[in-house]
Amino acid sequence: MAKRLTLAAAALTFAAIGLAPVLTMVARTFYVDGEFSLTAYQALLAAGQQLTLLMGHSVVLSASVTMLAIVVGAPLGVLLGRTDLPWRGVFTMLLTLPLLVPPYVMAVAWFAVLGRLSTPATAQFLSSTFFGLYGCIGALFTAFMPVVMLLTIAYAGTVNPRLEQAGLLMARWPTVLRRVTLPLIAPAILFAAVLVFLLTLGEVGVPTFLRYPVYPVEILTQFAAFYDFSAATAAAIPMLLVTLLILALEIRMLHGPGLELSAATLVASNAPIRLGRWRLPLLGLVVAWTLVTVAAPLAALVIQSSSLSVVADALARASDSILRSVIFAMTGATLLTALGFFCGYLVHHRALPFWRSVDALALFLFTLPGAVIGIGLISLWNRPATNAIYATPAIIILGYLAQYAVLPMRMTAAILQQSPPSLERAAQLCGASWFMTLRYVVAPLAKRGLIAAWIIAYVFCLRDLGITMVVYPPGADTLPVRILTLMANGAPSLIAALCVILIVATLAPLGAAALWQRRAGLS
Amino acid sequence: MRKFFWIAAVILVVAALAYWRLFSPQGAPTVTVYVSHDQVFSEPILKDFEKDTGIRVRAVYDTEETKSAGAMNRLIAEKNNPQADVYWANEPIRAEVLRQQRIAAPYLSPNAVGVPKTFRDPQGYWTGFAARARVLIVHQDENPKPTSIFSYADPRWRGRTVIANPLFGTTTDQIAALFVLLGDERARAFMQSLHDNAVKLSPSNGDSADLVARSQFAFSLVDSDDVVNRMNRHEPVTMVYPDQGAEEIGCFIVPNAAVLIAGSPHQDAGKKLIDYLLSKETERKLAFSDAAQIPLHPGVATPPGLQPIDKIKAMQVDYAAIAAKLQAIQSFLKSWGRS
Repeated sequence: MAKRLTLAAAALTFAAIGLAPVLTMVARTFYVDGEFSLTAYQALLAAGQQLTLLMGHSVVLSASVTMLAIVVGAPLGVLLGRTDLPWRGVFTMLLTLPLLVPPYVMAVAWFAVLGRLSTPATAQFLSSTFFGLYGCIGALFTAFMPVVMLLTIAYAGTVNPRLEQAGLLMARWPTVLRRVTLPLIAPAILFAAVLVFLLTLGEVGVPTFLRYPVYPVEILTQFAAFYDFSAATAAAIPMLLVTLLILALEIRMLHGPGLELSAATLVASNAPIRLGRWRLPLLGLVVAWTLVTVAAPLAALVIQSSSLSVVADALARASDSILRSVIFAMTGATLLTALGFFCGYLVHHRALPFWRSVDALALFLFTLPGAVIGIGLISLWNRPATNAIYATPAIIILGYLAQYAVLPMRMTAAILQQSPPSLERAAQLCGASWFMTLRYVVAPLAKRGLIAAWIIAYVFCLRDLGITMVVYPPGADTLPVRILTLMANGAPSLIAALCVILIVATLAPLGAAALWQRRAGLS
Repeated sequence: MRKFFWIAAVILVVAALAYWRLFSPQGAPTVTVYVSHDQVFSEPILKDFEKDTGIRVRAVYDTEETKSAGAMNRLIAEKNNPQADVYWANEPIRAEVLRQQRIAAPYLSPNAVGVPKTFRDPQGYWTGFAARARVLIVHQDENPKPTSIFSYADPRWRGRTVIANPLFGTTTDQIAALFVLLGDERARAFMQSLHDNAVKLSPSNGDSADLVARSQFAFSLVDSDDVVNRMNRHEPVTMVYPDQGAEEIGCFIVPNAAVLIAGSPHQDAGKKLIDYLLSKETERKLAFSDAAQIPLHPGVATPPGLQPIDKIKAMQVDYAAIAAKLQAIQSFLKSWGRS
């Protein structure tokens, strides 16, 4: 009973936080000047041909970025997570850097790199290739590939070593990886693919900067040019359809036979894969990849900001914003991890009949443009009675909980899939209550995954722009918002310095977490 | 595992303490302002206001580059429970939209005296200050140079000109102004001529200016501060005030606008901030900063590279009429941009 009540409470809390603002917005789409109207949807249908084209652009961009991210990110994840490649930790951290900053920063950084090579050929390349689909694919692939890489690393380390060892009796590592390891971590890779697809699908900053017309820009246009909240919300409905399609595909693929292998044991750790004579060539490949995709654009930022006076100016302008960003992100990540744990448990165990609705809702909210959720939050919470929430950072935290809950939720569900259900049953047979089972059996087993979930949630909260931009309380902006607003006519050196500070602000708590993990003997 | 819960608890306690530290009332009077003018220029003005008056400013910044999706949408969404006391708009059309939506309140500031009547609402719903001119940024190598916005239709520059997306920002305002000035038929014909002459679209004025500076296009219609910034960076561009001939339509002027928000919590502090923004001293600061704004008060010096307001032949249009027209032509602009 306690289990069902707690899980229902968690699901209802999430629904109240995430669904209520969206429902408020959707309800408004049916009213014009206080009277029932379908104008917003009629306008949507009237523009069907154009919107189909834009959605086509969005899907092509998202699919391309997702495919590239899997093709590169999954092997990189295995290489960095499971082999004896030198300096794996350093490479992991370096290759993760693009994920830590808003994607438009990567586009700006790439532009800075290409701008430095100012030849007529570069100018031609800039106008014909970089500014368009290919530039968007490049910038977003660089930004989101770490999602696939990190999840592959996280889950490749949890594969039951006995299964791999059994495989090694019959075959060599490449075959074992292909036939045992990768099928076992397929849910994580698939989840990463879904994340990358949806992140790309909802991205506005990079396509706007690189002038590639995509569907979410249409939604932004409804907000920015027409101040038409109803039309903007109605325009977001097709995003829901695409999300449902992706969800359906994911469910179908996850019912394959690969998952039958995923019962883990707790006795041994995975031995590193010895690369042998491939060690140096693969090291060279990873170094080259890191130099081209990460070091070059970020070095352009560092070079632009490499002056003490610039850094001092940036700190003077943004110290409050940095502090706020870190506090909001830590609070958001902690609450997200707690909420995500219970909702993830619900989804994994299918403990209540509406578990799939919770999962779908979380995914849908993740897909929605931040501006839509933001305006929904304003509509719902901006009342004199709720000023304590609306006029304070609590509104930002609610936004984080609404949009990013899918991350810790899915990560918890995936990590629970690696835990043998027999342990929970054994605890219950010994008379442990559900809460005791959670505390002494489930949570310790999921600890590593929960820490990873907290880190991912922290990163996404820290770099959030869409929601924060719309709802942050006056005088309480965050660093990404400040960077964006200073980008208009701000000195490029100042912007570069702020981007570098954002990266450091993200890395500091992550470094602390890594140290703590190492001291606790978890790595 | 216990450690894990302790860490989570510590994080929440630290966050709560920091939250209390950052958001507890400080005792000082406050004013909340939403700002669409670039933060890099507006923030120093607001800091000076804090220093001079002791009134704490809580600001929400937005920029034209982000399509002003933040501040205006928030003002409209917050209509029934306003949080902002003042809106510092970077052009008067948004201020007019606020007046039409009954979000603005009238306030006739004593510092509005001297601002030409064209640039302020007669009832005080908004008052203009520190303007930009809509000018042509032209690459130095272009000879002869364009002198009119109608040069966009000149076959000489076919495929070599760029304009910011007319759905956003000051370009929208200018197109709406043309519809008011020329009438719908001629304005639509002009817009069609842009298509016929293969004019390219860019996301913003800043992008247009960069494209011209990089020699990718011959000229573009942008804001005067976009040109001054590129000239200060010694990029190969010059500024042309369009349509200055006796029979021509003149140059479109876009002042900043200060708006008092109806029913806001700090009306008195809001009025003080508006007085401050409309002062000659603020205009002087904005003129000699990199914002390079043109002062509207007589007797305020103009920075090098810019003409004083009384030396520019300004387009004679009613901003209220432009705001109304802007709403009417949105669908046309949207389909024009797509075609």
